[in-house]
Amino acid sequence: MSRYIPFFIISVLLISLVIANLLFGAISLSLHDVLRGFQPGSDSYFTIHEYRLPRTLLAILVGAMLALAGALVQGVIRNPLASPDILGVSHGAGLAAVVYMIYFPHSSISWLPAVALAGGLCAALILWWLCGHRSSTIKLAITGVALATFYASTVDFLMLIKPLEINNALLWLTGSLWGRSWPQITMLLPWLVLIPCALYLAKPLNLLHLGEDSAVSLGARVNLLRLIALAVAVALTAAAVSICGPISFLGLVAPHLARKLFGGRHQALLPATMLVGAVLLLMADLVARTIDPPIELPAGIMTAVLGAPYFLWLLIRTK
Amino acid sequence: MIQTRLPFAWQCLLLGASLLVIAWISLFSWSAVPITPVDAVNALFNMDNTSIPQHIVQDLRLPRTLMGILVGASLAAAGVVMQGLTQNPLASPSVLGVNAGAALGMATVSTIAPWFGLLGTSVAAIIGGGMTWTLVMVLGRAWKGGNDSSRLVLAGVAISALCAALTKASIIMAEDQASGVLTWLAGSLANARWATFDHLWPISLFGLLGSLMLSPTLNILQLGEENARNLGASLILTKLAGSFLVLLLVASAISSVGSIGFVGLLVPHMAKMIGGQDHRRFLPLAMLLGAMLVVLSDIISRSIIFPMETPAGAVLALIGAPFFIYLVRQRTL
Repeated sequence: MSRYIPFFIISVLLISLVIANLLFGAISLSLHDVLRGFQPGSDSYFTIHEYRLPRTLLAILVGAMLALAGALVQGVIRNPLASPDILGVSHGAGLAAVVYMIYFPHSSISWLPAVALAGGLCAALILWWLCGHRSSTIKLAITGVALATFYASTVDFLMLIKPLEINNALLWLTGSLWGRSWPQITMLLPWLVLIPCALYLAKPLNLLHLGEDSAVSLGARVNLLRLIALAVAVALTAAAVSICGPISFLGLVAPHLARKLFGGRHQALLPATMLVGAVLLLMADLVARTIDPPIELPAGIMTAVLGAPYFLWLLIRTK
Repeated sequence: MIQTRLPFAWQCLLLGASLLVIAWISLFSWSAVPITPVDAVNALFNMDNTSIPQHIVQDLRLPRTLMGILVGASLAAAGVVMQGLTQNPLASPSVLGVNAGAALGMATVSTIAPWFGLLGTSVAAIIGGGMTWTLVMVLGRAWKGGNDSSRLVLAGVAISALCAALTKASIIMAEDQASGVLTWLAGSLANARWATFDHLWPISLFGLLGSLMLSPTLNILQLGEENARNLGASLILTKLAGSFLVLLLVASAISSVGSIGFVGLLVPHMAKMIGGQDHRRFLPLAMLLGAMLVVLSDIISRSIIFPMETPAGAVLALIGAPFFIYLVRQRTL
């Protein structure tokens, strides 16, 4: 029974954050206004229905996807420092998306997730090629970080020689939920198929946790499993990045927190990670919007402020 | 192994001559108002007050080029000293977070207390850089002579990320516009004027001379901390003096042109290839090379979307980041 208590707490936290995200912002609304905002024609309809509601939903989706990707990567590589953004996958996906937007400005924006996916896959393959199959925890992290630096400085460079509009630039440099609305949610919907796929992998991932040899002798097809799990993780990351830009450290922190709260069984861990990721991104976005209204900070800045110290702490503990 | 190298004096002379040529090219190339190569020379030695191109050279191009030379030399020297102190080939101001810390210090002061002016921002840059440098050294366990070099780099990268996020936040809140921020964060020589140069050169020169004086001790450190101690080098004193010099060099450079990265990572390795392992030799070579690299990337940065400017730091990052990957791959971790 006690296993459900953390789930309950996190869910309550999630719901209260959703309500807070609807209430607060550049103008604070009362609960009454929010409820009326769901009906067309009322004063706050535009604020709630067109602006805050889709943004809140998007924060939940993106947070959950990034966190899930992080949990999968950590489950497969069994490296506490690994996550799509440390390994450079998010920035690779972001770079591909930026190149697409700058050099093919007239083509449809709905291709963006696919382009980002291609970029993310390339980034993952390059990392694989540089690091090989068995390399130490820290070497993998450091190579990933170097690659991420390279992709990020290329994005910087492109932004500087072909200036996009300001908010777009901030989006791609730090990750932000600014100006996202229903069209972006519909773009993201097909990619949600990946979530059940990931949850289906929970059982074999548990076997992998016992060590490679034990997993093989228990009948798991280790290499296939690794390949599928990593591909799903890259796809989840790429889809999220194509909508919100590279939101840093979320995929690293959320799985760790979830593991602390719910233990390492992947059947519980994966859904829990998604909840934690959603809570973290909602929180980051809420703070970013309300810290100094009407100016809004990118949510990616908030997650970095939260995540970088956590990464340092993990680093100190890593043997 | 016997290597055939040019004598040290010739190496210096060759690099110095090429630096002069590059600096000369930088005086006249890619200008919105056409400047001839002869104008550039005349503006220096035989000024004609009625000629507009010569005025441009003297008031805009000359301080810019000199600034590029000083900044490049400072950052390269800082990189050499940091690599010598930590015995880590990846150590450099940008990788270990000193750049980001200095930038954060400056951004905080200029948003919270803009009336302090240039001196205030320089001091803030030194304090900010010093705090991150200490943090990285402690977290990366490098202060006590641990040989845990990749941990040091990861700590630096994480602290850089943290500082960069805070810098962006404070600038967005103050200015509400991203493109200027972006240019400044990338580091650009476009706003170099005589006033800034006058602030920069005494500090830089002091730092450069100091690092030259430190180079024999850095040679001893190369033998390992144990041996260095046996040979009578005071480790604590060396590390403190070295750190102080690094902070001085990096903070003065960054407070005048913004956060230019990767010079400190690239150049020491190039200098080592040319000049060998002796710090007394490759440190001066590194300064010359760093100056060349920065002035060269400033020329490139003007040519990319002429007549607009790209920050020189962005060009350098494009060259430097692949080199970072290459260095990581080279090392057996």
